Amino acid sequence: MTKKIERVQAGEKVFDWLLLLFSIVVLYEAYRIDDGIRLNSAGSFPIGLALIMLGSSLAILFSHRRKQRDPHILTATQEFKVFLHEHFKPHIVVFSIVSMLYLAAIMWTSFYVSTFIFLAAMFIYYRQGKIISSLMIATLAIAVIYVLFTIVFRVYLP
Amino acid sequence: MSDTFSYLLMAWLDPGLLGLTALGVLAGIYVGAIPGLSVTMAVSILISFTFSWEINNALALMVGIYVGGVYGGSRTAILLNIPGAPSAVTTAFDGYPLALKGEAGKAIGLSTVMSVIGGLIGVLVLALTAPHLADLALQFAPRDYFLIAVMGLLLVSSLSGKSLARGIFSVALGATIGLVGMDMVTAQPRLTMGSMELLGGIHYVVVMIGLFGVAEAFYQLHNMAKVPVKQNVDKIVPPLNMVLKFLPLSIRTSIIGVVVGALPGTGGDIASLFAYDHAKRSVKNPEVPFGEGAYEGLVAPESANNAAVGGAYVPMLTLGMPGDAVTAVMIGALVIHGLNPGPMLMIETPYMFWFTVGNLALANIFLLFFGLTGIKLFTKIVEVPKAIMIPLILVLCVVGTYSLNSSMTEVYWMLGFGILGYWLKMFGFQMGPIILGVILGPLLDESYRQAMSSVGDSSVDFLLGLVVNPLSLVLTSVIVLVLLGNTPLKGWLYSRFKRR
Amino acid sequence: MTKPLFTQLAIAIGSIAVAGGAFADYPERNIQGTIQWGAGGATDNVVRSLTPHVEEVLDTTIVLTNRAGGTGVIGMNHVMRQRPDGYNLLFGAENPQLYPLMGLAEFTYDDMHPINIIGQGLVVIATHPESEFDTFAELLEYAHENPGELKMGGTGAGGLPSTIHAMINSVDDLDVRTVTFGGDGPGVTALLGEHIDFMPLSLSAVAEQIRAGRLKGLAVLGSEELADLPGVPPITDAIPELESFLPWGPFWGVFVHEDTPDDVKATLEDAYEQAVASDGFQEFLTNFGGESLNLNGEEAQQYLDNWQSVTAWSMFEADAVEKSPEELGIPRP
Repeated sequence: MTKKIERVQAGEKVFDWLLLLFSIVVLYEAYRIDDGIRLNSAGSFPIGLALIMLGSSLAILFSHRRKQRDPHILTATQEFKVFLHEHFKPHIVVFSIVSMLYLAAIMWTSFYVSTFIFLAAMFIYYRQGKIISSLMIATLAIAVIYVLFTIVFRVYLP
Repeated sequence: MSDTFSYLLMAWLDPGLLGLTALGVLAGIYVGAIPGLSVTMAVSILISFTFSWEINNALALMVGIYVGGVYGGSRTAILLNIPGAPSAVTTAFDGYPLALKGEAGKAIGLSTVMSVIGGLIGVLVLALTAPHLADLALQFAPRDYFLIAVMGLLLVSSLSGKSLARGIFSVALGATIGLVGMDMVTAQPRLTMGSMELLGGIHYVVVMIGLFGVAEAFYQLHNMAKVPVKQNVDKIVPPLNMVLKFLPLSIRTSIIGVVVGALPGTGGDIASLFAYDHAKRSVKNPEVPFGEGAYEGLVAPESANNAAVGGAYVPMLTLGMPGDAVTAVMIGALVIHGLNPGPMLMIETPYMFWFTVGNLALANIFLLFFGLTGIKLFTKIVEVPKAIMIPLILVLCVVGTYSLNSSMTEVYWMLGFGILGYWLKMFGFQMGPIILGVILGPLLDESYRQAMSSVGDSSVDFLLGLVVNPLSLVLTSVIVLVLLGNTPLKGWLYSRFKRR
Repeated sequence: MTKPLFTQLAIAIGSIAVAGGAFADYPERNIQGTIQWGAGGATDNVVRSLTPHVEEVLDTTIVLTNRAGGTGVIGMNHVMRQRPDGYNLLFGAENPQLYPLMGLAEFTYDDMHPINIIGQGLVVIATHPESEFDTFAELLEYAHENPGELKMGGTGAGGLPSTIHAMINSVDDLDVRTVTFGGDGPGVTALLGEHIDFMPLSLSAVAEQIRAGRLKGLAVLGSEELADLPGVPPITDAIPELESFLPWGPFWGVFVHEDTPDDVKATLEDAYEQAVASDGFQEFLTNFGGESLNLNGEEAQQYLDNWQSVTAWSMFEADAVEKSPEELGIPRP
């Protein structure tokens, strides 16, 4: 994490602008709690915190002036490409999408069925094959979860 | 005197109690290690389970689980960078880098020994000073809790890594997350965007599991090909000279732990944060810098959070008031078993106090034993190929989050925090300050408004209160000294001017 | 599903187990119980000590989950959204009766079926022993002379202290600073440390402190002195007009979905009636500072309606809420 601290990473500026935008949204939401600024009420702290977020995100943006962009990146399109290359590797994209599908599936199949499918699919994908051993590990994992959570802790899984 | 002695040894001499304490510690280590499974939850389940048991047996099991559980959180923190409980968050800062160097075995060994030392100091303080410490804890007015929370916020400088602005942003973000939900005073929804599910707020363990567990899983996806580090498990028990070297730090942080634990409004999570900060400030030249695998960074929080267990029992046994969530449930257990937890407990059933003290000490001995065995097997977790580990981590995070409140919405939030955490991590933000904010945010808001209401909303009286009362004055002075003294604020300002 | 023999066997075993229950096929699996408040609180304690007795009668396991937050809205909302098959129970306190009035939610216990109103808590107004007041009358007099000076501990809008404050204000005038805490526990701690002047609390939270002399009772919310707290005068000594609201107290109850089949409701009502009446639970409740009610059916509904109308109107008259109970269809007591 420490390697590129003085160099602006691809997409970093955009991200920091998004944080500024987020701070403004929070400030607006916080202001709506009391419809005003008061010293001791439900909205006091949210407003204060939003202002701190706003201030520090401005400071972060300001600090970019001292940092340098990667000399190889010249245009916005190039930066976008580098960004995609660094953060949207197939591994990560597949994992993000499959985990969202998995969470959605829990509600309409059941926890155990969707977890088994999720684990088996991810194991097979990441290990590039080895179907039988992947299925076995997934089964084992399900068995351990069942014993630990459903039997011992009586957590009612969906 | 002889009575006291026989009560103390009760749990040590009865084979049944001995067995139950041991079982509790062992179970607690695993409960604590799994994020989402909390000691509070385990103890509440045990209440129904042990309903018909004799009270001593039930308590022995609960004490065991408590002691084991507080320790267990450090295991996953060291091995996977996923703290099993909020009080182990700081353990991950230096524990995980150690595991990356192949020293997980040694780290777990050291954290076990330090946990036991912390735990025993906690028990000792409980045994010797309980009534006085309880009276001291009662002296803390809302404005003092406010000052403690402010002091906690100053830790941001030791947690935020290289960019203070990012650290401050993260703390404010965390605190904002902590405030979501129904307002305590007026019952207005705050920052819920109209969602009924959010009225109850976002559980801070959900944030923790997302930011650490899921974000870590995503982060690991970056270098799938990297072969896991082979762990050196030859030397697990730390050598005596190492223990002696860290003993002074361990004692100091244990005292922090027991005092913070004894305050009814704060617990092991805040104690371990303070302890980490103390270590960072007091140890000038660690062999390895903090955050990169300093042993000091492991010793401090682990001593403190286990010492906080003894602290939490102080108000419970002397006043019948809980010191934290676990002791709150235990008070319930006493009530259900027909005892009357309150100031009379020590007078009417004196054995209860000494039995608990003895039992806690016993549990710590078992902790030493169980903590030092099974490490070889545990460290194998780190060596599991990532292809298998990463999907399993996600499933574990899902189950852990769901078991908190049986809410799928919280599971979605958890994934959301995971993705957010991943991006924050990519762009140089640290997770520590966010968790700091989530933990301290509600305390800050609550205590500030209590303090303001107490003085009839007069800011002058509020500020005056901070310096007039002796206890508040001490806390205020500490804050001022820290601000002026060795914080990076000075260095930061200095470097700013220099650069111009 | 395709095991008729097994089903028959289960019915046979079930009918033996549920003594007197005519509809033996319920319960055939674990029941999920949702507690509206957090672990270690009063509702939690009552429910956890009652449950083993119910499990014995029903011969099944009731898996308890604490689903706290939003003054209980979260837990209640969850149970109302489950299938109405009797396998999801709600364990709640008095708060839902005021949700529409407080603007917290649209629903109340009218939208669920009461299985049992277990009991109600007694209320004490307590102070610390160093306090110059010995009775609530003295405190009230001081407050009349020095408005806005005394500090009262509260637990937020809709909490017990705010309701009692409203009741008092609907017939008298008590102008104080309210300092809000996260629950009875933190409030009692602040009272022990003398950071607040007084606080209305449930007896279960303070009985032991008063017995040990760490706290002092100013008044009990009732028209007679309590046997457990000799020397603490009833609140009617200070404000006789409060008589019309009494008896009043926070209560605990068990509820199921409105559309649950009648036979299941009957089985549950029967089981809870037996369990609440059991010696073991009665002993606990007395020790805990609660009063047993054990109401179901029509009686339970009456109790709920009465509680709601008394509380809602007194809060409205004390200007503690903006909405009129009339708008919400709550009749005047």
